[in-house]
Amino acid sequence: MTLRKSMIVARADLRMALQVSYVKYGLIGMSALGPIMILVIVSFVAFGTTSAVEALALLSLLSPTISPVLGVISIIPASLIAANALVGEKEQNTIEALLCTPLTDSELLIGKVLSSFIPSMALLLGTIAVTEVGSIVIFLSAGLPFSVNFLVPDVAGLFLLLSAGPTMILAISSVMILISGRVARVYEAYQVSGVSIMVFILPIIVPLLVMQSGGIPDANLVWLSDIATLLIASVLMTITWILAIGRFNRDRLVSLV
Amino acid sequence: MKNNFDQYTAISDQNSPTEEGTDFEVSISGLTKCFGDILAVNHMSLDVPAGCIFGLLGPNGAGKSTTIRLLCTLLTPTEGTALVGGYDIIESPVSVREITGVLPEEGNHTLYQTMSVYENLEYFARLYGVAEGEIPQRIEELLSFMSLWERKDDRAGELSTGNRQRLALCRALLHRPRVLLLDEPTSALDPVAAKRVRELILRLAREYNQTFFINSHNLPEVQRMCDRIAIINDGNILMTGTTAELRAKLHAKQIFRLRTSEDVARVSSIVESMAFIEYVRSDVDSLILTIENPQENNSILLQTLLSQNIKIIELAEEETTLEDLYLEVIKGGVDK
Repeated sequence: MTLRKSMIVARADLRMALQVSYVKYGLIGMSALGPIMILVIVSFVAFGTTSAVEALALLSLLSPTISPVLGVISIIPASLIAANALVGEKEQNTIEALLCTPLTDSELLIGKVLSSFIPSMALLLGTIAVTEVGSIVIFLSAGLPFSVNFLVPDVAGLFLLLSAGPTMILAISSVMILISGRVARVYEAYQVSGVSIMVFILPIIVPLLVMQSGGIPDANLVWLSDIATLLIASVLMTITWILAIGRFNRDRLVSLV
Repeated sequence: MKNNFDQYTAISDQNSPTEEGTDFEVSISGLTKCFGDILAVNHMSLDVPAGCIFGLLGPNGAGKSTTIRLLCTLLTPTEGTALVGGYDIIESPVSVREITGVLPEEGNHTLYQTMSVYENLEYFARLYGVAEGEIPQRIEELLSFMSLWERKDDRAGELSTGNRQRLALCRALLHRPRVLLLDEPTSALDPVAAKRVRELILRLAREYNQTFFINSHNLPEVQRMCDRIAIINDGNILMTGTTAELRAKLHAKQIFRLRTSEDVARVSSIVESMAFIEYVRSDVDSLILTIENPQENNSILLQTLLSQNIKIIELAEEETTLEDLYLEVIKGGVDK
């Protein structure tokens, strides 16, 4: 198995997807929602409070909600792109030609996972960067001092997004590719992807639940919930990948053409 | 514009994993495929020598496309197996795919419509592991040969059906495979393009020893091009051999053309009632007949017709065409 061949598949899929403007701008637009929403809230915090202490207190209340919001938004593009992965090839009648190449099942599936992972990670990193830079600019504009405490998302949130985020993207990509290989039409895959998102956002919103149950969140509890999310995401990723590779069936794919 | 295959070298010249002593590039034994209760391919066994152009003939739903899908490892057999270039399709599917080029059924619909002609070939060249430095030259060579070089930047979806079929053929040939599995290669092609493709297939088989396994409905084309033929129906191989061998199997039932002064339909109704005449079809003003033991029975036929006041213009032995063989075999008139 070589990653090079998987990358060939991923690059071709990405190029084809990005040739369609409504896909390209749709993904960017969807991912922009999170930073816009958060930066509006940050503006209220920065300009609506009278002191840095007050702003920090308010921010510490909001921080545990910010990273789950960005995390949830980041897995939506992954699920939509991956939903199209195999059933899209079937609808285009290109699946047979692709399966006749010397790609192994793993190479093909990794390629398909990468074709949704790469843009989703780019969007996730982009949204984190825009949110961080945007919030720093807003705080400085409001005359507040620059400090690590004013990072939005905060350090715990960054940990969640940069560890559990990619893991959840891989997990949802794997499960959607599994589904994509078992449905006959793209719209069926999209319908199932909607349901899957509802299930897969649960681990990401664990930190959010911790905050709501405890009022002002305890920092240790937030970190604990972030680590729990990462562990759940890792388990999900492992299970969904094993399922995707184990249930991949060329006969079934070709018979559904 | 390049329009030659001077640099062309099939993989078979570079690497030959076929076991010593076996000259068969495709060797099928007891291959069976069921889809639920439907038996698509039934214990098929046949061998195709290296450099051979093998034609698989049969009506729609006979199991031709399933056979190709089994050989290119798209489907897994229910029973039996096959060796392609010495590789087992069950044990070594990746190796089989490396040395085979496939034109799937309705190949012109199997292209990435939004990719350009060039991008389609470039993508598959990389997937088949063609060295990066060789890709441009190979693509130019094939596109030029298929008269598609001028269209290299057009999207595949913008091409005519015939051009898409040519592009799909280019894709199958791109990595210079030892074995080519082609499902209706000239369907959707105009006569000139079909002739070019036939010439290409003949050239690749003769000069580069590439083996072709071709599904076709085009009987004259198969007769002109294929070294060996198998006729399949309901998943069963009914007959296999060279065209000459198939003719020889019909030797006891020679085919004759009977031309009379009478209406063809009336004569047909008379001859069909004769026990030694098994196969009758009309051809313009005459009848094509299969007569068992013609040395004895021709005189009986003539006497019968004369007794009915039918004036016989001609009763002559016909060159057996593949169409005659095919129709007769499909009707069940010949033993395996």
